[in-house]
Amino acid sequence: MGPWGYVSLAYGIVWGIIVVYWFLLKRRYRGAETELNRLRSSEAAANHDKN
Amino acid sequence: MTLLKQANLLLWKDLLLELRRRDSLLTMFFFGTLLLFVFHFAFDMPPDKVAELAPALLWLAFLFTGTLGLAQLFQAERDNHCLDALLLSPLDRGALFLAKTGFNLILMLAVEVVVIPLFWILFNLSAWNLLPQLFLVTLLGTVGFCVLGTITAAITLRARARELLLPLVLFPLMIPVILATIRCMETVLKTGGFGDATAWLRLLIGFDVIFLTIGVLIFDWVIES
Amino acid sequence: MAQSTNAVKSRKGILGGLALTAVAAGLCWSLLVAPPDAYQGEVQRIMYLHLPSILTAYLSYFLVFIGSGMYLWKREDKDDLLAHAAAELGVLFTALTIIEGSIWGKPTWGVWWTWDARLTLTAILLLIYAGYLMLRSSIDDDQRAASAAAILGIIGFLDIPLIHMSVYWWRTLHQPPSILRPDKAPWENVHPAMLTALAISFVGFLLLYFYLLSLRYRVGEMRQEIKALRLERGV
Repeated sequence: MGPWGYVSLAYGIVWGIIVVYWFLLKRRYRGAETELNRLRSSEAAANHDKN
Repeated sequence: MTLLKQANLLLWKDLLLELRRRDSLLTMFFFGTLLLFVFHFAFDMPPDKVAELAPALLWLAFLFTGTLGLAQLFQAERDNHCLDALLLSPLDRGALFLAKTGFNLILMLAVEVVVIPLFWILFNLSAWNLLPQLFLVTLLGTVGFCVLGTITAAITLRARARELLLPLVLFPLMIPVILATIRCMETVLKTGGFGDATAWLRLLIGFDVIFLTIGVLIFDWVIES
Repeated sequence: MAQSTNAVKSRKGILGGLALTAVAAGLCWSLLVAPPDAYQGEVQRIMYLHLPSILTAYLSYFLVFIGSGMYLWKREDKDDLLAHAAAELGVLFTALTIIEGSIWGKPTWGVWWTWDARLTLTAILLLIYAGYLMLRSSIDDDQRAASAAAILGIIGFLDIPLIHMSVYWWRTLHQPPSILRPDKAPWENVHPAMLTALAISFVGFLLLYFYLLSLRYRVGEMRQEIKALRLERGV
């Protein structure tokens, strides 16, 4: 493998991993946000019902 | 009551318990010896090679034996819920740390005092005159192991895979001690004295002092009810 | 509990945008503008990844240390959240550093792995902080997990200089310094474009790091709030 081969391998793997991590992190973020909103809105609803 | 007095009391309690039941000590001793046998079968070594590998093999044996001892370190407290009682008392947590470290140290030293000469006999080594210096290095290394080991045992106390997690967390942190003790012992065996290994010795002493101090200061936060 | 308002969200977005710009600029400089190294040739370009990666990893571990210390002192959740997020990112960037070092090593030294001081040290760091993450996930009680991890965060960080010393001594006493260590930047004979590439890459990595850290921190924060709400309901 020529020198540019190694360079592309390194850059490719590294940025690939970073992008994948960012993507998975975003997914966790959105999931948590949805769950949080769901819990908060049902709490608001429960309080509303109480009143 | 001062820190050392408290530590002494707790240490005596553990020692008395151990003297009565002798669980940990015997298990550690037999395990250490067993490892020596396994090493003999695993490494088919010519006699001259043995002296070279002796420090490494010994330390591997002590590492694994010591880990066994650590797993038992807080066992008595866990079984009888003594830990809560201890925590409720106005005891300095640093004293608990010193006591536990001291206890493990004594156990390990007892094992090492027997296993090292045993190793010499089983593997037909001749440098008996070097044993005092080797013991010194072993002592310093064992102190380092016990200090970090006690902290690690305490923080993994409530973990699920406790027995697996303890060595996993401990061993990378132990690398300076492992390197220093084995290199020191190698130099002693090769040259008959410490020679240029004094740097390693100083690293070892520094390590022990640093983490002993940190352990005493930090143990308050390590053990919680 | 803190709510991710639109202002906060757009701040994150701006940070992300800045990071992307800096990273893109860094890539340009590293791959196109900077000339190949006199000794190592094109392969030296991997250093524009390697050096920023390891520095970011160390920054991360420093943040773990600070967060751990603050948490043990003040017992405020935000410090623990910082430590946890920083540990996760630290492991990520350390893994990247090892990969980059290994790929750089193959054309330079002929092998994918060598137990030289730097690679060994980085591997040990990875083990320590991977252990941190495993410790956290194996303790069920959140507060205990936070305390235990904080202790490890402090001890681990303080051990690093000792590990450095011991591994370097071990390696220099037993192996002659290898033929050429061209990865040590010889500041005299370096083309200015190479320094620029390194600087821009570093800035890019830093911005990227803080962007990811802010995301990961927020995830931790939300999870905590979710747990608290669920507990309230008995869900």
